[in-house]
Amino acid sequence: MTQAAEVLLPSSPAEAAEAFGDGKGVTVIGGGTIVLPELTYGRLRPKKAILLARAGLAGLTRSGSTVTIGGATPLTELVGLDSPVGPCAANVADGELRGQATLGGNLCAGAGPEAPRGDLQGALLAVGASVRSTGSGGESTLPIDEFLEGRGNRLVLAVSYEEPAAGAFVALDRPHTHEYTALAVSAARLADGSIRLAATGAGGHGRRLPSAEAAAGDPAAAGEAALADVKPHDDALASAWYRQQTLPVLVRRALTMLEEAA
Amino acid sequence: MKLTVNGIEREIESPPLTPLLFVLREELEVTSPKAGCQQGGCGACTVLVDGDPRRSCLTAVAAVAGAEITTAEGIGAPEELAPVQQAFTHHYAAQCGFCTAGMLVAAHAYVEGGGTDDRHAISEALAGHVCRCTGYVKIIDAVAAAARGDSFDLAVTAEGQYTTMQSGGGS
Amino acid sequence: MKAVGARLPRYDGVAHVTGRTVFVDDVRIPGTLWVKALRSPAHHADVKGLDVRKAESAKGVHAVITWKDVPLLEYGHLSALGIPADEPLLAKDDVRYKGQPIALVAAEDEETALEAVEAIELDLEEKPALFDVRKAFDADAPRVHHWGNWYPHFEAEMDRRQIRKGDVDRAFDEADAIVQGVYRPAAIEHVPLETQVCQVVPEPNGRLTIYSCTQALYFSLGVVAAHLQVPLNKLKLVGGTVGGGFGGKVDTATETMCSLLALKSGRPVKWRWTREEEFLCSSTRAPWHMEIADAVSKDGWILGRKMLTLHDSGGYARFSPYGLTKHSFHHTGAYTIPNLSFDGYVVFTNRVPTTAMRGFGVTSVSFATETHMSRIADVLGLDPFEVRLRNANRIGDTSPNGVVYTDPSTVPTIQAIAEHLGHELSADYRTMTNAKREGELLPEHLVAQLGNPEDH
Repeated sequence: MTQAAEVLLPSSPAEAAEAFGDGKGVTVIGGGTIVLPELTYGRLRPKKAILLARAGLAGLTRSGSTVTIGGATPLTELVGLDSPVGPCAANVADGELRGQATLGGNLCAGAGPEAPRGDLQGALLAVGASVRSTGSGGESTLPIDEFLEGRGNRLVLAVSYEEPAAGAFVALDRPHTHEYTALAVSAARLADGSIRLAATGAGGHGRRLPSAEAAAGDPAAAGEAALADVKPHDDALASAWYRQQTLPVLVRRALTMLEEAA
Repeated sequence: MKLTVNGIEREIESPPLTPLLFVLREELEVTSPKAGCQQGGCGACTVLVDGDPRRSCLTAVAAVAGAEITTAEGIGAPEELAPVQQAFTHHYAAQCGFCTAGMLVAAHAYVEGGGTDDRHAISEALAGHVCRCTGYVKIIDAVAAAARGDSFDLAVTAEGQYTTMQSGGGS
Repeated sequence: MKAVGARLPRYDGVAHVTGRTVFVDDVRIPGTLWVKALRSPAHHADVKGLDVRKAESAKGVHAVITWKDVPLLEYGHLSALGIPADEPLLAKDDVRYKGQPIALVAAEDEETALEAVEAIELDLEEKPALFDVRKAFDADAPRVHHWGNWYPHFEAEMDRRQIRKGDVDRAFDEADAIVQGVYRPAAIEHVPLETQVCQVVPEPNGRLTIYSCTQALYFSLGVVAAHLQVPLNKLKLVGGTVGGGFGGKVDTATETMCSLLALKSGRPVKWRWTREEEFLCSSTRAPWHMEIADAVSKDGWILGRKMLTLHDSGGYARFSPYGLTKHSFHHTGAYTIPNLSFDGYVVFTNRVPTTAMRGFGVTSVSFATETHMSRIADVLGLDPFEVRLRNANRIGDTSPNGVVYTDPSTVPTIQAIAEHLGHELSADYRTMTNAKREGELLPEHLVAQLGNPEDH
């Protein structure tokens, strides 16, 4: 495996932000579940690496109905949250990996070479989360929709959202826990009654399904409408064709579950 | 940095991003965790970090500095096998043995953490572990037996047979 | 016979559960070098240039080997069974599958070895590749192998494994129906938890100690000795502790190359394949293409079978002719079919060469035959258990290759399955045995096809 020239272990969020700077040429290691194999196989040779193990960025707090999750919180701590976030986290890998993989790492994961990554992007899009991050220009808080576009050069400090009135998470079955999820849909009915839908594995990073949201009153119609919002791809897990067949089904199921949760 | 491995404090020389698997196997010559895939997909590298099962191939050693690491060598010895080790022996839960160290420490953590003999719960706990030899049934049998607190007489009689298993109280 | 039926402790049981079993990768010899391979990035190409000088002179590199370092470059592992050599240990003039090893490096550590591999200059001229066994026979198909696109060295230099028995044309004339099926099981990767791994130590007395994960110690000993052109007693193989093989660790894929590196560097060397190498470059169970046409009577007798098998051997022959031969012997499965026309080809493609995996050659044809029996029952509207029992092997029947059955188990096995599943068989089928056919039990189409062929 390869070694970075400089390895930093910040012991506070402020130190972590300072070490990260503008993010250029920095490799951030949360749980290491994505980065370590890249180092082992010689595909990543970082000049500077930051280990977040002691940076004080882990932890989940509640204030009223607001949930705030530190960027380096292991996914296992999210498993008990309400749908869609809880079930989405529970569907990632297996218990050992969830004990180590972080929310920030999941959000910032680029597309995998053979499979989509970043399942939590979908659930957090559905609940309308906001992401507090640091990087070039200092700290900022952005709605997750906007954050995801520029996530490559940001260090996630915390994610927060209002617990929805109801939520649903539906995914294609994984043959084994070491498989990534080929396609998943998250749905949430917010406190104001509006419905948000998002998908992961439908091409690129997690994205909203506005055409399906507009037709949310009719789950079957919304399912078909969702196809206009995505450009699915072929990869080792599933073909674009297969994703096009199954996305409407997942959307319909998610919306039906939301209705039943009323 | 320091690591306690199977109860013994060790000084670690390897660079900070070295996977814990490599530190254990190459620097410390603790070879029970295996390099099955080195990408977190098989569970053969799993060790306990402060009692929690983690993939050592995915763990940068600096991230666990100061932790207590436990491997299959450390949960019991031939003269005094831990309950899961006895159960694995009695139930023939190991064939080639390559997945066994990882399975065992995960099973040990499960049982120590109060896991029951519910087969679904055991499957969930060991979900990250691949075995190509046994078909998993005997592994789950063994973990269930350990979770129940079954006791085993592993002595071989003059006829070359195990004496029959007796159900015992909890451990 | 105290052991049969007894619960015995595994001799390695306590070692396994205490993490003390020593697999090849657990062996620790001071001064061991790490090995990495340069593998073909192309499926099919001519090697125009290979320059290892930058790798050889890199700091921390102790040896680099190419085909030039191999005393006997091509050795047929099953030459004792008449299968000639065709595969260079390290690629020389061409590469025939993606991942084929071209050069190996032994260095102080894994990273140095990886960088040295990257420094090797390789010049390939890519050629069209062949992946579909059905296209191998086209006049304009890419030519994969110097023998042509299928193996031509069966006995009497036949280019296929051929079985002819009885009069299959007459069977097809007399049939009430012809039932056809095409069966194409895909390749299967063994996925042993332990990847291919080998450690070789040059001993002061001039011998080599080879720690191997092979499933076949003596076999691999012979292969290494042949490539190295040394007497057997120059090599000491240490093994028997295998982290899963399932047929995939018989190819002697690492031992010879590591031996050459140990000799050239004068140091112990270890080569452990990554999981990616294991998936992409290690041999798999072969994909098969099987076409079956059975001539059947309306009461369920199989009068005759015509079968074509294409066995995908990948880029080289390895054990495939042997696998196909076993396949041909078993192509009627647990059943006796008196009139046969079987043709099987070992076809070369630009895939990773295929090898044995649990039931080598026979698993594929069992799948095809059993599925076909059910298909026959379906076409004829008959009970699938009874179709099987009707055609089941009996004492005195002969296999496709003329072996006389002395006590075949088809009948009691199928009866036991039916009982276990609660499937009711009609009286005749419930009480039948595997006794030799005679009198009423010997239908006309089977007369003169059974028993010892020399009796007829």
